Amino acid sequence: MIVPLLLSILMILAASAAVWMAKPVHAGLSLALTLSIAAVIYLVLGADFIGLVQLMVYVGAVAVLIVFSLLITRRRDEEEERSLRPKALVMGFGCVLPLLAVLAYAVTGGIDIKPDRWEPALPLQELGKALFTDYAPAVLAIGVLLTAVMIGAALFARETRKETK
Amino acid sequence: MLLEFLKMPAWLVTLGGLAAAAGTVVGVFLGGFALLSLIERKTLARVQNRIGPNRAGPFGIFQPVADGIKMLTKEDIVPAKAEWLLHLLAPILIVVPSILALGVIPYGREWTPVPLELGLLLFFAVGSVTEVAIFMAGWSSGSKFPMLGAMRAISQLVSYEIPLVASALAVVMISGTLSLPEIVAQQGGWTFGFLPQWNIFSPWGLVGGIVFFIAAIAEANRTPFDLPEGESEIVAGHMTEYSGFKYALFFMGEYLGLFAVSGLFITLFLGGWQAPLPFLEFIPSWIWFFGKLAVLIFFFLWIRATYPRVRIDQLMRFAWLFLIPTSLLVTVAAGLWHVTGRGIVSWVVCLPVVAIPWVIAAVIFNRRLAPATRTYHFAE
Repeated sequence: MIVPLLLSILMILAASAAVWMAKPVHAGLSLALTLSIAAVIYLVLGADFIGLVQLMVYVGAVAVLIVFSLLITRRRDEEEERSLRPKALVMGFGCVLPLLAVLAYAVTGGIDIKPDRWEPALPLQELGKALFTDYAPAVLAIGVLLTAVMIGAALFARETRKETK
Repeated sequence: MLLEFLKMPAWLVTLGGLAAAAGTVVGVFLGGFALLSLIERKTLARVQNRIGPNRAGPFGIFQPVADGIKMLTKEDIVPAKAEWLLHLLAPILIVVPSILALGVIPYGREWTPVPLELGLLLFFAVGSVTEVAIFMAGWSSGSKFPMLGAMRAISQLVSYEIPLVASALAVVMISGTLSLPEIVAQQGGWTFGFLPQWNIFSPWGLVGGIVFFIAAIAEANRTPFDLPEGESEIVAGHMTEYSGFKYALFFMGEYLGLFAVSGLFITLFLGGWQAPLPFLEFIPSWIWFFGKLAVLIFFFLWIRATYPRVRIDQLMRFAWLFLIPTSLLVTVAAGLWHVTGRGIVSWVVCLPVVAIPWVIAAVIFNRRLAPATRTYHFAE
């Protein structure tokens, strides 16, 4: 149990770095580090599939997307960024505190979160079947959502290009 | 049984196994990297009617050694504007995924360094780290050309990863597993007693294999898709500000990536270590694997020697308008192949699904979307 614990501490450090770094690129790279530590935690706990998917989807795709969006969006002054910090801190804790409270309540035994069976390494075929039979509506809904997001992103990119001309 | 025979404690056997696995990957492919750097120069020289390296040793065979010593003793320059930590980490992060990816490929019947259940997924998962590493290299150099090169590299890698993964997905759909040794084992056996049952010998496999191969050239940053480093335009892309051993690491990562993606192509489509004809099965399986690898690598060199580099807009257009739709068709054809029982009927059903849109798309692509013919203003 000691390894996941140490990894969690590392992950919290990386996540705080992602929030605290002044340069957006540093923040993005710290986020990539945070996400890959999460993947390592999954692997250590024996959930191979979810760990590798985490690495592929989040580190590979999301990190690159974050970095790209940072480069495309307006570059904010570092001073301005620092001056915004008190406000950001208050807002951030305001959003996170309820979540933390629920988590603390659950961990201390308030909610019965014990699963039916401890089997993180679910056979892949079962997972696939469940996704495309029981959870098919959810998969379809996410597909529609992502398509909409992609079209929106394309439109957004187009408009900014017109502005620069 | 082996344990009792050798009278070795279990931990020693485990350690020996790990050493053998690591030795395979590091030893074989570092040697291969050195050899390939020489063979590549020799082959290119032959195509271009030159002699190539011939000073160090007979036929220049010690050229890689000389290159290695040169790289190691060169000054390691970190630009004043660079972020030294990211600048240092980037080349390491490029090499590590390639080595990890080489670990899951089955080189012979009983020779898979790390026989993972989710081998194929691991291959693509660690491969996605490369993009972050290239961005780090480009951005941390604190200079224009590396940044441009990194942006090009990332857009290229992200675009060509989709057809690469989609055509690999077709193989997974047919095999029903992500384990690479298992995928190879399923390609064994003979149709009519002598024809191999490799995945490439099916309508979806043929088209999927071609798509995978083209995408693999782009993923490995080889000509004609070597835009990220296009020397004549942007110096050396994300590697511009690197020198000495760090530059050698980039070079190594690129060649190891080439080995890895070729190995995956052989595993998925060319039957891995399987022999091509039944009476040739007496030759050890690993010889077949490395033989196929050598032929494939030579094919890469051949393409590099004969094709000009494409433009960035041609590159992106080719991926998004041709390769990605084709790879999606391949997954449809693979599904039909499975549903119709993988026999003669499947051939009749699957072949038009893949072939007709492919031909139509190719014709349209050639006619409408091809860039205007270049005019050479100063040539007359």
